[in-house]
Amino acid sequence: DPEEKILQYKIRVFCRIRPASRAEAAQGGAIVVEKIDEYSVTVETPRGPREFQFDKVFSAEASQEDLFHDTSLIQLAIDGYNVCVFAYGQTGSGKTFTMVGDKEQKNPGIIPRAFNAMFDIMRENSSKFSFKVSAYMLELYNDRLQDLFASQAGEAHVHTQSHGQARRVEIKRNRKGVVFAQGAETKEASSAQELYALFQQACANRHISATMNVESSRSHLIVGIMLESRNLTNGSVSSGKLSLVDLAGSERAAKTGAKDHQLKEANSINKSLSALGDVISALSAELPHVPYRNSKLTQYATRVKAITNNAQRNVESKEIAQLKEVIMKLRSGQSVEEEDV
Amino acid sequence: MAATQQEARSCARTPKRTNMASFNSNEWRAICDKFTNAQNLTEIESRNDPENDPFRSKYKARELLREIYCSLKNFEAGEGEEEGGGESGDQRPTEQPVDGQREDLFGQGFSGDSPAGLRAAKLGAVEYYLGVNHVDTEELPAGQEHLMNCMKLLERCRVSSLNVSLFIHVRNQLGILWAGRDETETAQGFLETAESIYQRYMKEDGSPPTDMTEYFAAEESLLTHQERIKRFELAYTHTMYYLAQVYKNLGQTERAATYCHTTLQRQLQLNQFTPMEWALNAATLSQYYITKGRYMEGRHCLSAATVISDLAGEVPSEAAAQENEAESERREHLRQKRAEIARCWIKYCLNLLQDAKKQLEDNIGELDTDRQEELKRARRREEEEEEKGRKSALLFGSEDTFDSIASIEEKVMCLFPLDFTEARSVFLVGQNHVTQAKDYFQMDGYVTDHIEILQDHSALFRSLAFFEEDLERRCKMHKRRVDMLEPICNDLNAQYYLMIRRQLMFELAETYNEMMDLKLALANRQADTQSLDNHTIKKFNHLCSASAKYFQMFLDSLCSPEGKFPERLEEEVLRPALVARFRVARLHSRLISTSPTVQLDNLNKSLENYKYVVQYCEANPEAGATVETELELSKEMAGLLPLKINRLKARMASNN
Repeated sequence: DPEEKILQYKIRVFCRIRPASRAEAAQGGAIVVEKIDEYSVTVETPRGPREFQFDKVFSAEASQEDLFHDTSLIQLAIDGYNVCVFAYGQTGSGKTFTMVGDKEQKNPGIIPRAFNAMFDIMRENSSKFSFKVSAYMLELYNDRLQDLFASQAGEAHVHTQSHGQARRVEIKRNRKGVVFAQGAETKEASSAQELYALFQQACANRHISATMNVESSRSHLIVGIMLESRNLTNGSVSSGKLSLVDLAGSERAAKTGAKDHQLKEANSINKSLSALGDVISALSAELPHVPYRNSKLTQYATRVKAITNNAQRNVESKEIAQLKEVIMKLRSGQSVEEEDV
Repeated sequence: MAATQQEARSCARTPKRTNMASFNSNEWRAICDKFTNAQNLTEIESRNDPENDPFRSKYKARELLREIYCSLKNFEAGEGEEEGGGESGDQRPTEQPVDGQREDLFGQGFSGDSPAGLRAAKLGAVEYYLGVNHVDTEELPAGQEHLMNCMKLLERCRVSSLNVSLFIHVRNQLGILWAGRDETETAQGFLETAESIYQRYMKEDGSPPTDMTEYFAAEESLLTHQERIKRFELAYTHTMYYLAQVYKNLGQTERAATYCHTTLQRQLQLNQFTPMEWALNAATLSQYYITKGRYMEGRHCLSAATVISDLAGEVPSEAAAQENEAESERREHLRQKRAEIARCWIKYCLNLLQDAKKQLEDNIGELDTDRQEELKRARRREEEEEEKGRKSALLFGSEDTFDSIASIEEKVMCLFPLDFTEARSVFLVGQNHVTQAKDYFQMDGYVTDHIEILQDHSALFRSLAFFEEDLERRCKMHKRRVDMLEPICNDLNAQYYLMIRRQLMFELAETYNEMMDLKLALANRQADTQSLDNHTIKKFNHLCSASAKYFQMFLDSLCSPEGKFPERLEEEVLRPALVARFRVARLHSRLISTSPTVQLDNLNKSLENYKYVVQYCEANPEAGATVETELELSKEMAGLLPLKINRLKARMASNN
């Protein structure tokens, strides 16, 4: 049952345990994470052992192949679904190894394996389908998206004026519901090698930025692969997308966060009363329009709008008044023939 | 307790001075320099502190402040009894930190300007800065202690131009501190005291008060009167700002709104604002006023927002934006914010029209000419009141802007429009802003925003139609709505924009219904007889079917992917779904046809839908409450229609 299959794949969280590095082993560090079974791990915390549940657990012995085998969502993407894989964890926990692999590619990660699997599947089905593969690759840091295909992505920060087009990339959704990266270049690829070469180029651009005071551990890498397949028999086209994301290190910043009722102070540097907007926005839950894009109040999901404007019930609509008249006539036995008007 | 004890101990370690006459100029200079360093570390150096040592500069500043404190304390200790039983820094206040006896602050104690008063102020200032320092480094208990020490020191003095600034600053800080602990009422106490101190000082004295930094400044570095006033007023603006937040937290929204308004006002008067940020805040505040029906204030806020947003500068051209990323961002930012303000204006116009309609409509939603007369008469009285109200209301602006703001206000009403001409003027202002907003919020890129603007535009037409007497023109307005919304409704992705599509379907259904009734009314007007010509019937049926189609589309959107209508309707869609069924039923029974077979089919469909409403409410009794009238009428029709259907069948049989 295809619907069941999809539900099964809705959101799954895997846990992968990294083996101790040589340095860590040499220092005699204790191993605090242990796989109990296929779905649970136990962690030694200062307050005693705690258990966590996952959809699947991979121990330190699990190979890159093992991991990819279980994340075979490529077929789904080709079938026209949107599939997304995130790697989340602290700096040094092995996200990039999992997603990309080692530098020499002796142990390729999910991304290169996905590329190969993609083109393998397409080759197997080449008699029934024709395929088109295109990609965009973005880097997100300090709340800004950079197109990693733009040739001088990193250099733009060295020179005060950038060369050529310096466009912002923004994530938008069009009326068809397709999410696209506006302002980002998409490149086509006709083989796994080509696609991987594009990927390497993008990563190279990422490293340029890394030398400019922005640690790559603080930026997110977003790879979007669009897969379009056309059925050669009936001409139908389906579009799927595979998004592969290597998130920045999840360790927290030094200072503690602000509490809810804490007064937002006037910033002594530029004297701006930055929270005044928040106070005003919160004066009523029913403000007709709130001009702040980042405010929680403007998020589409939380706006509960009434579907019908018929809020007032004390004003009878014309409809109802007319119908009442009709009913009166029908009851009194008047034959109301053709039109009930 | 620990912090000040530590200070007392370290002060004791410093050798006491023997000559107590005064600090010599070198010593005093040293103290002043230390103070300047401490300020510099706190405000400037601290910005460069690394992430893993974020308070480095502030700790250094703290040391310097402690040294200053010791120097002053030692000096003071030598002075002995002059203080009148001096309270040593070792005594800790043990009572609750409540701020009481406001009136006494102006009456009892040393004169603020006396030597004792000055000493208290200086020491108090150091305690104040230490307090802020500890709060900044997240050591709240120590921060509180220092701030309370400052309060204690000041308690012995009368308020004067020498210390009033400190009086207010320390209370601002204590307000922030207690609010952070969720003790909002305590915070309120401190802040309200600060407020009354300011007001009384301005009333009784008003001379430019000494700024706290001047306690440790050389003669040449003393501030000008202008600068002193500016800083003092800024402190009070902060008091207003904090009180706005406190009142909001206490749920006293009206008061909070007043304080927000005052804060905004003061920002303009004192020229302490960033144009676009100020404009957005004023525009948002206007929306609050709209929810309260206070259109005069709302209009004033919006007009000010428009004027001030212009101060943010020219929008860089597209060419300039292509060249340079900074320009591109600026262009984006300015265009977007101005478009947001335009949307606030749209809501103003729309709400004004809608509220006017509520005042003027009769029990079936048509314009009641008697009410209209009555309100027009009442308004003549109101206009005089408006003039007086203006003066007492809080006006925004400074010399430069008063006039520009007024000129924008003159372009749109703030009283309810009572006839078509007035309604049209409001409508046109709204429509202009629609054009402006749509220019930025284009469909591809801002789907939901664009559609909301279109919905507002449609609603503007709907409200205007209420005032239009000519039925033909009224119908044309509804046609505009359909033309605007129909293509969008069909174009949107059904899965991602479900909520919006449902809204559009419902609105289209109702609009077609309106048009249908208008066509009929027009036809009946033109002809004296009941019979309608074919052309009109065709038009009528088309509109009737279209209306039914969209109600049905709405109902279909509730189905599962397999096409099954839900057994139980969810809360948000319950009433609309039942109303939709009811309307479909009614519409089917209104379709005109000469063919009995078609008539029968229509009546059956009608009955089916009335029955659904009845049966659903039987199975789900709570649902009945949401559609009382519709349910009652559905029951009637479910009982009466079968009779009609049978009569029709009988006639069909007899004719065969």
